[in-house]
Amino acid sequence: MFAFAKQRRTAHWWGVCVLVLLAARALPNPVQFSRDVRPILSDHCFQCHGPDEKARKAKLRFDTEVGAFRTDSQGIAVIVRGKSTESELIRRIESSDPDDVMPPPKTKHALNAEQIRLLRNWIDEGAPWGKHWTFETPSTPPRPSLETASWSRNGIDEQVLSRLEREELKPSPEANRAALIRRLSLDLTGLPPRPGEVAAFQSDESPDAFERLVDRLLASPHYGERMAWDWLDAARYADSNGYQGDGERTMWPWRDWLVKAFNQNMPFDQFTIWQLAGDLLPNATQEQKLATGFCRNHMINGEGGRIAEENRIDYVMDMTETTGAAWLGLTFTCARCHDHKFDPITQQDYYRLFAFFNRTPVTGGGGDPQSKPVVEVATSAQTQKSRGLDERVKTEAQSIVKMEQQMFPRPEGQPLKAWDGFAELPKEVQEALAVKPAQRNPARLETLATHWKTNDVSYTAALDHLRNVIEERTSHSRTIPRVMVMEDMADRRETFVLFKGLYDKPREKVEAGVPASLPPLPPNAPTNRLGLALWLVSPENPLTARVIVNRYWQQFFGIGLVKTAEDFGAQGEKPSNPELLDWLAVQFVRSGWNVKQLCRLIVTSATYRQTSRATPALIERDPQNRWLARGPRFRMPSWMLRDTALAAGGLLADKGGGPPVNPYQPAGVWEETTFGGKKYRQDHGDALYRRSVYTFWRRIVAPTLFFDTASRQTCTVKQPRTNTPLHALTTLNDVTYVEAARCLAERVLAETDSIPEEAVERAFQRVLARRPSEREKEILSRAARRYETEFSADSAAADRLLAMGESKRNRLLAPARHAALTLVCGEILNLDEALTKE
Amino acid sequence: MNPLDDHRLHLTRREFFGRAAAGLGIAGLSSLLHRDGLAATPVSNRIPGLPGLPHFAAKARRIIYLFQNGAPTHVELFDYKPRLKELHGEPVPDSYIGGKRFSTMTGKADGKLLLGPIEPFQQHGKSGAWVSSLLPHMAGVADELCFVKGMHTDAVNHAPAISLLLSGGQIPGRPTLGAWLAYGLGCETDNLPAFVVMTSVSKGTTCGQIFYDFYWGSGFLPSRYQGVKFRGSSDPVLYLNNPDGVSRRMRREMLDDIAAINELKLQDFADPEIATRIAQYEMSFRMQASVPELTDLSQEPQSVLDLYGPAVKEPGTFAYNCLMARRLIERDVRFVQVMHAGWDQHNSITTELYTQCRDTDQPSAGLIMDLEQRGLLDDTLVIWGGEFGRTPFIQGDIKDRKRWGRDHHPYAFTVWMAGGGVRRGFTYGETDDLAMNVVKDPVHVHDLQATILNQAGIDHERLTFKFQGRNFRLTDVHGQVVKELLA
Repeated sequence: MFAFAKQRRTAHWWGVCVLVLLAARALPNPVQFSRDVRPILSDHCFQCHGPDEKARKAKLRFDTEVGAFRTDSQGIAVIVRGKSTESELIRRIESSDPDDVMPPPKTKHALNAEQIRLLRNWIDEGAPWGKHWTFETPSTPPRPSLETASWSRNGIDEQVLSRLEREELKPSPEANRAALIRRLSLDLTGLPPRPGEVAAFQSDESPDAFERLVDRLLASPHYGERMAWDWLDAARYADSNGYQGDGERTMWPWRDWLVKAFNQNMPFDQFTIWQLAGDLLPNATQEQKLATGFCRNHMINGEGGRIAEENRIDYVMDMTETTGAAWLGLTFTCARCHDHKFDPITQQDYYRLFAFFNRTPVTGGGGDPQSKPVVEVATSAQTQKSRGLDERVKTEAQSIVKMEQQMFPRPEGQPLKAWDGFAELPKEVQEALAVKPAQRNPARLETLATHWKTNDVSYTAALDHLRNVIEERTSHSRTIPRVMVMEDMADRRETFVLFKGLYDKPREKVEAGVPASLPPLPPNAPTNRLGLALWLVSPENPLTARVIVNRYWQQFFGIGLVKTAEDFGAQGEKPSNPELLDWLAVQFVRSGWNVKQLCRLIVTSATYRQTSRATPALIERDPQNRWLARGPRFRMPSWMLRDTALAAGGLLADKGGGPPVNPYQPAGVWEETTFGGKKYRQDHGDALYRRSVYTFWRRIVAPTLFFDTASRQTCTVKQPRTNTPLHALTTLNDVTYVEAARCLAERVLAETDSIPEEAVERAFQRVLARRPSEREKEILSRAARRYETEFSADSAAADRLLAMGESKRNRLLAPARHAALTLVCGEILNLDEALTKE
Repeated sequence: MNPLDDHRLHLTRREFFGRAAAGLGIAGLSSLLHRDGLAATPVSNRIPGLPGLPHFAAKARRIIYLFQNGAPTHVELFDYKPRLKELHGEPVPDSYIGGKRFSTMTGKADGKLLLGPIEPFQQHGKSGAWVSSLLPHMAGVADELCFVKGMHTDAVNHAPAISLLLSGGQIPGRPTLGAWLAYGLGCETDNLPAFVVMTSVSKGTTCGQIFYDFYWGSGFLPSRYQGVKFRGSSDPVLYLNNPDGVSRRMRREMLDDIAAINELKLQDFADPEIATRIAQYEMSFRMQASVPELTDLSQEPQSVLDLYGPAVKEPGTFAYNCLMARRLIERDVRFVQVMHAGWDQHNSITTELYTQCRDTDQPSAGLIMDLEQRGLLDDTLVIWGGEFGRTPFIQGDIKDRKRWGRDHHPYAFTVWMAGGGVRRGFTYGETDDLAMNVVKDPVHVHDLQATILNQAGIDHERLTFKFQGRNFRLTDVHGQVVKELLA
């Protein structure tokens, strides 16, 4: 405890020093409006003097140039260019009168001395104005002049190096080959490299060895499985509805389409158009319609007592906001109820965007997890079986039609009720007969069969036959996945601004359209979802390309160039390297939105290839690696941890696609959450070892073996990354990891059973793609010997450990040795390096 | 923990600090200042609170929220209205319900028949608080309680209303009360999380309320602040137990090996995340000891167990969870959220309500008495209540007594608080003579949140987190501390 207290005190002292340093920091010269001034205005003034007209005080606004330089009716100018002392803005900010000072004390948003000096300097320098940077179309930045250009491999490196030179930092050396192949394999496939692949790469002396490795990984079918994950988070994909009831849905064919789209390198513009508006393309194919399942991945609320229209409005809002977040990096949610406080998005804009999605026939009623419109995605065998069953229904129904002709004689072409005796039949029998035989439901067929049971055996038998076939057809039909998709009604629903976002408080009518502060829809684009999708990927759109390249950057480097990947608006973080972001965005569009090419560009850069080894001095200068003077290093997502453990243990199942699977999960988790309503039925065999992307995702209680995942409830474009003791307990104790360790031990013991050093080295290599150092080998080998002694003394314990997991254990191996190495493999899988992509 | 383990642990730490101080220098120190969710302090798993917090001295150092999921009927339990009894079976007068929105199960309330409380009320204690005979034990501690009878909310369905009450927004995705407290004030224990959740449901209840994990989510705050749900079974924390065949000593050895290799890596790569990793694994080891110790009731005297009633030793019951809540706060857990479902009596006021009261009454009162006799009630705030109330008019057929029910009612409900600097034996707020609408001293759920934070030493307007460009807080843009409730 002593050490603890001492460190805390030192830390406190150090904190004081930092504050002193900050206070004395020189102000930027000259002041830049969008970098230095706009954020202050946004943070402290926009709340009452921003885009939201209803909240605006004194008719004064600082989000537009006209507003800020207005002179009021009494002739008072808020900002006088070049003269801070004459500017009302400064007078009010510095006022000591609590009734006069801005921002008002009750807002607790007072400016500090540095901010006030900045505003003064800006005004004195002439108060130049500008738009928020993300609303300007990106253009290729000029090539920077560099002192040491030889390091650069592509345009990324030029921009990174330019920034490093400004900070007087040097890039780090290239990582070694073992580190590079592990980094690349994890980044592009989510799996570790095999030992043979590592050896081959290490001995490949050809100059393009690295590039060929990249191409091989980009062509792997596992690439699509890796890339799909982040988009599934953005698409709030899950295998159940969410909310009470939480009915299981069958959206997985959409997930398979997604994996395929990545693997086939579908250009991102097409990817966008298909998912938002595939159904509206001329002669839309089944696949194009299927892609629009993206929009329908939202939660469905089947709670009793819910008002259908309120649900429906929720769903349309979700589609609107998901589109805003996933493509535009803007938060539209605030504008449900009022004009955005910080960004130029009005409530009108919100409902205009909303109108694009407000035309489907969805009613919002009930909790049907396959609510129409849907596309059926049947296998050919299923289709064949459906056809056969339809045929049989027809045949059986025809024989009943014939029988009924004879049983109920009546004039040609007349309905059954024209038969003389019809009126005497019981009411439910009349109702059943009024329906054509092929359309009668099982209950009606049963009614008729019961009525004639005693006096017409052959008719009763025919009815039973038909009932059986119809029931068989129904149960077969339930096995065919139906993916909820988009479709516009011919009769468009009208859209209104909703007061405070309330479904039952419509105000003025609005037409579909894009936010007024962004470029208009392209000429000739239809005013529907297709037009919206075309607009998102038009070269004039200042946001989409930036937002998307930023997210791919985040995937590789752990943090976006804009750290707030979810917010590119005025309150979002400014990019750490704006030139690099724009350069990438322009390249991406020019390449024809080629995603694999973008990935290739990033991973072949010298920036990416740097070692992630740092020095304390560098960590201190740039703790989050925003300037990129070293390679990326961060804890892998939990799904990737599981996949790498399965791969290292040789357990990973190859099969891709298909219905989701239920791997190991502690007993009772679903049952406890749903009061026994949902029973977890764990799968067996290969289904236990499928890639994590195929795991059944119950929306109200996500798979327990994953942590730090998106909730999959609403669109998420940035996953949390934290470290809690519960994570450690998972990777140390969950049967998934223990079994992987046991199987990894089995693998290496089958290769070498003689001395622990060799087994340890092989296991280490399978997980970390490198040889252990002497010291590491010593620690682990000593552990192996120690555990072997312990398990030899307690063979029952060894047997219990080796019984973990359902895969067969190799009984030829000595149990004490096998169990001992299982623990050592568990240690290896839990090393910081094993949990980290570096 | 056995002494040998303790010693080894100490050694590991000392070695680590020795090297960290020498090898990491300023980097290690700066990571102490760095609380971005990306790196934690390597020194301890105690997460520090924000600088400047608490904003003022806290009256409640710990909070227990006995959340009654499904909405208890204020009409039957606390809000005594003789006139409702007189008008039993009469249609609701228009003036009480004009223009109000109810769930689709009720639709329009026009013409619905009033339903008198099914059991009698009495006044209790010196304070003379009215409590139904359904709750004899709570009635017995009425002088400790502070009844807030003018509660009201915006949402009319369970999930949105619970989300509003616990996170300040109807749509899932915001940090909940416990997460805000953990974020603002930090964690005071090395061995347990700052925010623990437990759930239970009465046996035989037919309601289908589900405990969604966003009820204790951290929203956009780092996930380390989310509530850790202890399960109602022999294994309260998932993956807590070592794999079969692995002893605690072996686990200690494993962790020492892992730490030794991680330290090599730390020296080589200088990434403070590695130091975090070492601390994270140590904490997992301590939790493996502290959680079983927490759930070991063998040292509890029978007289204490008796306070909580007969179900107290059965994991997963409300009684067990109430006792566990006391044991958790004794171990410096800051916020315990005990959730009990089954209050959604749409057609079971005359049947399931009795079970529900039986299962919750004695444990709730027992917790108050237990805290009081240990001197913990003064600085522990206990809150008891649901997400809304129930309609004073009937759902169902007035002739079919067995199926009487009440629908969701957001316009008035009762919550009580105890300890933690709130007034004792006090009733605040009033509804009209049919318990339909608040007529005096209304308290919105945002006001309740502001008040709870206030007792924890937090100005609800100043505990904010910037997300998607906006400074969010628990009370959204509303909420006022209800000063009248404070002692």
